[in-house]
Amino acid sequence: MAPNLVPATKSRRVRKPIARWIAARQIVQIAALLIFVALLVMSRRDGWPPDSVNLPMRLDPLAVLAQALSSRSFLLGSTVVLLTLLLTVIAGRAWCGWLCPLGTILDLLPLRRRSLRDKQPNIPAAWRTVKYGFLTAILIAALLGNLTLLILDPLTILIRTFTTSLWPAVDQFVTSIETMLYNVPFLSQPISTLDAWLRPAILPSDPAYYRDAWLFAAVFVGVIALNLIAPRFWCRYLCPLGGLLGWISRAALLRREVAEECKGCTLCTTVCPTGTIDPAKNYASDPAECTMCLECLDVCPRSSIEFQPRLKPAARQVYDPSRRQFLAAATFAIGGLALFRSDALLSHPSDHLIRPPGVTNADLLDKCIRCGECMRACPTHGLQPAWSEAGLEGLWTPLLIPRLGYCAYSCNSCGQVCPVQAIPPLSLDDKRTQVIGKAFIDENRCIAWADHRDCIVCEEMCPLPEKAVKLEKRDFANPDGSTVTVQLPHVERDRCIGCGICEYKCPRTGTAAIRVYVPGAEATF
Amino acid sequence: MTTPINRRRFLRTAALGLGALTIDQLLAACGAKETGTPPPATRSQPARPTAASPTALPQVTPTTAASLQPEPTAQPTATPFTPPDLAVARSGEPEALVRGALAALGGIERFVPRDAQVVIKPNICVAYHTYEYAATTNPWVVGALVKMCFEAGARSVRVMDSPFGGTAEDAYAISGIADQVKAAGGEMVFMSRMKFVPTEIPQGQSLKKSNVYDDALKADVLIDVPIAKHHNLARLTLGMKNLMGLIQDRPAIHANLGQRLADLASLIRPKLIVVDAVRILTANGPTGGNLNDVKQLNTVIASTDIVAADSYAATLFGLQPDDLSYVRAGAAMGLGRSDLKSLRIEEIDVGT
Repeated sequence: MAPNLVPATKSRRVRKPIARWIAARQIVQIAALLIFVALLVMSRRDGWPPDSVNLPMRLDPLAVLAQALSSRSFLLGSTVVLLTLLLTVIAGRAWCGWLCPLGTILDLLPLRRRSLRDKQPNIPAAWRTVKYGFLTAILIAALLGNLTLLILDPLTILIRTFTTSLWPAVDQFVTSIETMLYNVPFLSQPISTLDAWLRPAILPSDPAYYRDAWLFAAVFVGVIALNLIAPRFWCRYLCPLGGLLGWISRAALLRREVAEECKGCTLCTTVCPTGTIDPAKNYASDPAECTMCLECLDVCPRSSIEFQPRLKPAARQVYDPSRRQFLAAATFAIGGLALFRSDALLSHPSDHLIRPPGVTNADLLDKCIRCGECMRACPTHGLQPAWSEAGLEGLWTPLLIPRLGYCAYSCNSCGQVCPVQAIPPLSLDDKRTQVIGKAFIDENRCIAWADHRDCIVCEEMCPLPEKAVKLEKRDFANPDGSTVTVQLPHVERDRCIGCGICEYKCPRTGTAAIRVYVPGAEATF
Repeated sequence: MTTPINRRRFLRTAALGLGALTIDQLLAACGAKETGTPPPATRSQPARPTAASPTALPQVTPTTAASLQPEPTAQPTATPFTPPDLAVARSGEPEALVRGALAALGGIERFVPRDAQVVIKPNICVAYHTYEYAATTNPWVVGALVKMCFEAGARSVRVMDSPFGGTAEDAYAISGIADQVKAAGGEMVFMSRMKFVPTEIPQGQSLKKSNVYDDALKADVLIDVPIAKHHNLARLTLGMKNLMGLIQDRPAIHANLGQRLADLASLIRPKLIVVDAVRILTANGPTGGNLNDVKQLNTVIASTDIVAADSYAATLFGLQPDDLSYVRAGAAMGLGRSDLKSLRIEEIDVGT
């Protein structure tokens, strides 16, 4: 694409081709955002093939690199990341300017109207180092087997926000509108048709509920709100993926050059969304910061800007991380990790840390990139981001909360959709034999045991061919002297796989009277 | 100058795209309605080995309608026809059993008028196993009913259930019912939250109101197609228990189950009950999963009387009608008759 960017005659301004490049970028940005959202929507079970919906995470070099360092393995499916690296080696941070869905959202929501008279916000350039700090901390921690800070990866932020808060909220909103209109007599037919089109293809049949949905929304809103301070504040100063791509871009082929015709009108400085064009350096820019958006090319009245292939390393910038800063970030990562691992949860794990099928906890911590694809794919919304159960070392890793959703006997989606096989891609037959927990009945709360009333819901729901909940008939004396025969549930724990449908469906209000706990070592006694 | 992507431009582009999609969908939907043929599959179902076309199985080769047509005319026609209270068809292919039983009842036309909108409620309670495991209604029984409704001139036939284990999409596919319904030209419909409307149950003794599925209440004809199977609380799940799939708050039914199922049956009145006993599940119901618990009976029971249908089905398990609490409650409320001796039952052997 390089030659086309250069105006046909260098001295005269040729507007049209450049405007077309800008339009092309905007189309690519919107298309990438829409595809990203479409893939997320279709990440649901029975949606598009798992290998397609998890493509964005496999294209993310930060997630792939950190995961490879942490798990000491590289997955064949992650080789597509070479495309992103190739793009970066050729065209610098074009990912950020052209493809990144979060970048596009930040472009779409500038929050502050800007005019060409505005100056760049007055923020010390040294702040740009922060993203390198995050990057260093992520990679050092990954080397030591921890991936917690990948919660700062832009794609994981988007997927998590979408899954846990945005889409459930959209669903709630649409449902309330639909329900209202459905009760208007002449509208019920069209609304019914609309609903049949929407569900379950696009919106869930049953509402999704996620713990701390507000928190994930707040993080996302915070990232956007930073745009109030500066356009693409996140991309300039914080994004660790931007840091990684920027670091590679220092040797990128395509470079922005300012010719001698430049009269210093500062328009390009103003219009640059990352504020990297420095009047003090003859309007040069840092390839590690430039997102190849081409806005400067478009705004320049004298056509004195070119993007040309050039083989030279980028000039050093004041905010490039110094050795001291690198060591500080590494120390931060190592010290932080030591703290994470001093958590009492490691010596006394939570008995509610029920992991997805086929997962061992240690393995998951080495591999999970915190993207949340599994939670999106889980049809019962039982997979939730871990919080207090896994400590900071396992922050926002997937956890089954049976009271919110069970592990469906007919489903193996989480392992299929996981881009890094942190959840193994088991066949349905294999998945059905995975023991993720064991159910225990609280006889003080059970409707049959405590209230002497027939219920049997846990037995009825148990999906195993030979049920793991068995019923025993027993007579109880009523206060009036009569007797009542009640079917009392017992768990055959040898059989139980801990899918949690009994806990999910238990009619007892609040905490269920049958609960699933992690499968413990006592099973071997 | 060209501005960066602005909101207006984004909205315009997105609206154009969405508009095009909507129009496309509408056109597709209209086209399907006019021709009366099943709409082309708009969503691709991921291929699942477990759902592999049950048609491939030898014992259930679909029988053509033509070969079965003579059956209805074989009825005594000399005197004015008084239909039996209950018809039982035995030993034959599922479709032949359904056709035989309905012919004995006086033909599907008795229940499905021309241009009727029909809703069929099979039992598709879980997405776990194929039909062989007898946890879900036999797909050819449902398929045959869809075909016959169209033969009688029905305008639309919608088939629906809301599974309690797994997604409805999975359950529809794995049960094999989706394939048969679509092949017969009917629609598999996903039940929608907003359509569970709060409804009073005037005759209800224990259950006075419930959120009931609107389509089932509004349909011209509702056909209840349970599979006969074991259930530890109800003892058996049959026609009356199958109606539970049409309400939202199912735990509310579990207390005082017999009376509440009868209360529900006093509100939701299927015009026809077809009990699928081609394969019955005798233990570990309602979810099943073990072929040793399945018994192949090749029997279909049809009746307009839900209590009678359930009463007869109970005998297939060696139980008496009064062993079922909901049959007792239903008979006491006058919803139907459970005294098998006083019923006019026509038993036919379809033969193979």
